[in-house]
Formats: sequence, structure tokens, C-alpha cells
Amino acid sequence: MSPIIDVEHLNYRYPQQAADQLTLTDISFSVAPGEWVAVVGHNGSGKSTLAKNLNGLLAPESGTITVAGQVLSAETVWDVRRQIGMVFQNPDNQFVGATVEDDVAFSLENQGIPRDEMLTRVAQALKQVNMQDFATREPARLSGGQKQRVALAGMIAARPRILILDEATSMLDPQGRAEVLQTIRAMKANSELTVLSITHDIDEAASANRILVINDGHLEEAGTPAEIFAHGEALINLGLDMPYAERLKAALKRQGVQVPTSYLTEKGMADWLWQLRSNK
Amino acid sequence: MAITFKQVDFTYQPGTPFETKALTDINVTIPTGSYTALIGHTGSGKSTLLQHLNALLKPTKGTVTIGKRVITPETSNKDLKRLRQHVGIVFQFPESQLFEETVAKDIAFGPQNFGKSEAEAMQIAEQMLALVGLDRALLTRSPFDLSGGQMRRVAIAGVLAMQPDVLVLDEPTAGLDPQGRLEMMEMFARLRHERDLTVVLVTHQMDDVANYADNVIVMDRGQVVKTGTPREIFKDPQWLVKHQLGLPKTTAFAHELQAAGWQFKQLPLTEDELAEEIAAQLPPQAFGGDPAK
Repeated sequence: MSPIIDVEHLNYRYPQQAADQLTLTDISFSVAPGEWVAVVGHNGSGKSTLAKNLNGLLAPESGTITVAGQVLSAETVWDVRRQIGMVFQNPDNQFVGATVEDDVAFSLENQGIPRDEMLTRVAQALKQVNMQDFATREPARLSGGQKQRVALAGMIAARPRILILDEATSMLDPQGRAEVLQTIRAMKANSELTVLSITHDIDEAASANRILVINDGHLEEAGTPAEIFAHGEALINLGLDMPYAERLKAALKRQGVQVPTSYLTEKGMADWLWQLRSNK
Repeated sequence: MAITFKQVDFTYQPGTPFETKALTDINVTIPTGSYTALIGHTGSGKSTLLQHLNALLKPTKGTVTIGKRVITPETSNKDLKRLRQHVGIVFQFPESQLFEETVAKDIAFGPQNFGKSEAEAMQIAEQMLALVGLDRALLTRSPFDLSGGQMRRVAIAGVLAMQPDVLVLDEPTAGLDPQGRLEMMEMFARLRHERDLTVVLVTHQMDDVANYADNVIVMDRGQVVKTGTPREIFKDPQWLVKHQLGLPKTTAFAHELQAAGWQFKQLPLTEDELAEEIAAQLPPQAFGGDPAK
């Protein structure tokens, strides 16, 4: 199966940067249709720059980006953008509608969707993110977490083939975050949606099929969540939180307890502790 | 400086189609010197309450007493400047409020507004930059050339430059990576002691509540539904779920261990507390000791 996103030797430099200072250096990867890929890395590592290159908001210095079989260029950028829905960290930067429902409907109007279908899709999308009671409110007067839900509803209604989330759950409380992840899983179950999520959240990263680690503009590593999480305390250097079991392991070590070096899940940690205690 | 709410209601845009009641009958005190966490589901009214802390919003009903000043629905908008000097608010994404040509001028803007001379204000700017852990070489740079984390520190320095008694932080670490979050939270803890501040933290990170706060206010649908120490708030997981809130990671794990038969002297809130309780219950060989002895 041919990849839905293919990036080859991507280099990017912001206009004000010196010739030897690249924000992205020689990035190559591809994403299969229906795959969920998490992109992790420190603030300033180039993750958001990468996302903006993928839908042509920024133009690479060199390299090729192919989205759904089309090589991204000035001629194809509008076709490519129709395939991609983006949700940014601070949705204030992307609201256009006077009310929540107008905003969610915006991209549908642009696509020329018939009014009846549009109304149904908007109502469904708002219901999915639990914002149906806010349909006639002004987006600007919502809380940070509510805004993120509305921005996501806009994407649910538009039904893109690729969803790019740029720290799109960072302002939500833990339950809201879990709900949004659940919504994305449901979207994936109903259609062959490809998801690229830029995140620092360990649970969001754990939901992905694959994790890409970006460090200082380079693609440093790619692997399954289990492979990446085995880094333990080094994860914080990759811009991710440590899984809880690893944090507790470090605290136990400080108490003088001899701890195993392999990666333990929380369940594994609970079992190991119980065994240790019973082993008198 | 203590802040007390008495029977406070607040309604946005009253008398318009957009009328929304955001706060109902709030009765709560933020004690002097406390590190108070304000938690609640998105849209529970945290940010509305927060804007009452320095009279950016005035109650629709009831009173807010900030130090000695009493704010009522009738309070005039004039003469609130003094108050705002005492209560500094760091809003969500504070870096979006930066506007000056240089970092020094941006930080000095507040003190100058409150009557300091340019030279004094510049001196304060230099001190504040050091306080938030940035190099003085940045003073002459444009704030817009800095990284996101640095910009946020400059914005926080601008609030500290007014030398407030109360520092209010609205999700101050949103969007920072885990390392940046940790550094920023440690910075606030340090500032609290160095500057003798009362801190109010609005957050969704229950681990931060467990690690830093000594007082917690829980909001739901515009009302205060519980106040207490973190240990009091986190002892009842079902109650928290009902109000759409989570537990600190350690407390959640401790509840699981309890269900499996472990017993703890007190409910652990941090990894180190839990590790200590666990270690006390382990046999010597867990520490590499000889089981025969």
C-alpha cells in the first residue's frame, strides 16, 4: 500500500535564519493510510514547523512532500490542504465564525456541502465533542478547553483524510483529554483516518501506532510506544513525560530498593511490588 | 494578602441573548501566604473567578475583599490601579501580551505605569529577568526573537516587576514540554519563598496540585463544591470522578495498591511519599540485604 504521507530529505529554514542554521534537517519518513503517528520532542525542536510544512503553510528549502499521491507544490497546495485537517494548540488563531456552529460549518461551506447535510454534520460533530449546548455561543467567550473541543468539531464535520493535531489537547483536563482521544479513535474506526499528533502527553503518545522523536530539527528515532517508553528516565530529554511506573521506580531506588532495569507497566509494577513484599 | 468572596454571583453580558451565569453564590477565602490551587472541569468558572481576584471583573452580586479593598457591583472602575499592582495575574499564553521593542522595555512597562522613573524601572527589569532565570544578555533583544519558553518567562517577569503580593497563574505551563513545565513550577515555588507571595494556581495537572499546593478550591458549574488540603480533596476518588476531575498519578496508583491489599499510614500524594511507605513494608532482601540475617 502506498503511503498517504511521504517526506523525503526535507530541509527547512526560517527566512531570518543564517545559511547554516536549519530548523529541520534532512527529515525523511512515511505514514501509511489509517496509521496514527505521534511526533514528540522538546519545545523548539521543530515539530510544529514540520506540521506546517506538511500542508504547505511553510515551504521547504529542499526535499519533497507527497500527500495522498500528490507532490506538494504551489499548484497542488489547495488540493493537498483539502485532504488535511489541522487543529492548533491555541484555537483562538483559527476561529472565523461568529458562533460556534458557524465556525464548525465554515469548511463545509467552503467545500459546497448542501445545507441540509451541513446542518446534520455540524450538530453531530458538536455532539461528539460534547459541545452541543454551546452551538449559538461566541467562540471567543469559551474557555481554553472548550475552544479546543470546538476546533476539533470543525475537523470532525469536515471529514479530512488526514488529521494533524498540534498539541490539540494541551488545554484540556484529564477527562476531556481522554474523551477527545476516544473521539479520534471513533473517527478512525468509522473511516480510514490518518492521524499525526504532536504531543508531550504520554497517554496520547501511547495511543499511537508509532512515535517519531524529533530533536533539534533531526528525526532522531522512530519506534512503537513500547520501544520508545523503554528509555525510562531519558524520556524527559525527548520531550515526553516519564511513564508513572518509571517515576515510582526512581523514587524506590532513592529509598535503597533494588529495582529491575527493564520497562514495567503499572500493572507489572504492582505485581512486582506484591511479590517482593510477600517474599519474606 | 487574603482575598475573600462573599455570596458572589457573576453573569456575562446580562440582558443580552448571550447572557450566561458563570458564578453562583461563591463563598471562599484565599488565605495570606497560601499556595492555593483552583481546579475544575473546563468551563467550571475558574477563569471567571480568577478575573475577580484583581477586579478585572466585578461581581454581579456579593462582595470580593482583596486585602482591605472591598469590591462590590457598584465599585467604580477608577482607582483600581493600586489593587492591580498588588495582585499580578499571569494569563494563559502570557507571551501573546509581549509588545515592546526590547525585553528590558517590556518588563519595565508595568513599573513605569505605576509611577517609577525610567531608570528605576530599567533596574527592576534587570532584577526580574534574573529572578525568572534568564540571562541579562537578553535585555536588549526583541522579545519576539526568543523561544516560546523564554517569551513566557519574560511575560512573567513583567508581572513580577509590579512587585505583587499575590501571584495568580492561569495554567502557566500549558504548551511547555515536561522539562520546561518542571522548571517553571520549581521557579514559582522558589519565587513564593523569596518574594513571600500568596500564589493562586489554576491547573488541570493534579500532580502539580499534589506537589506544590497547600490549599485547594474545587469548582463545578460556577460553584465552589469543596475546599481543603490536597490530601483531603484526593482521598475520595469517586467524588472526583463525579466532578470530572482526576487524581495525582501517585494517589491513583496508591488506591490500586490498597485494593490489592496494601495499607498506608496516610494517603500518598507524591512518588517519594509512596516509595517511603512501600519501602517500610518490604523485607531486607528487597534492599539487597541477606535474608538469613
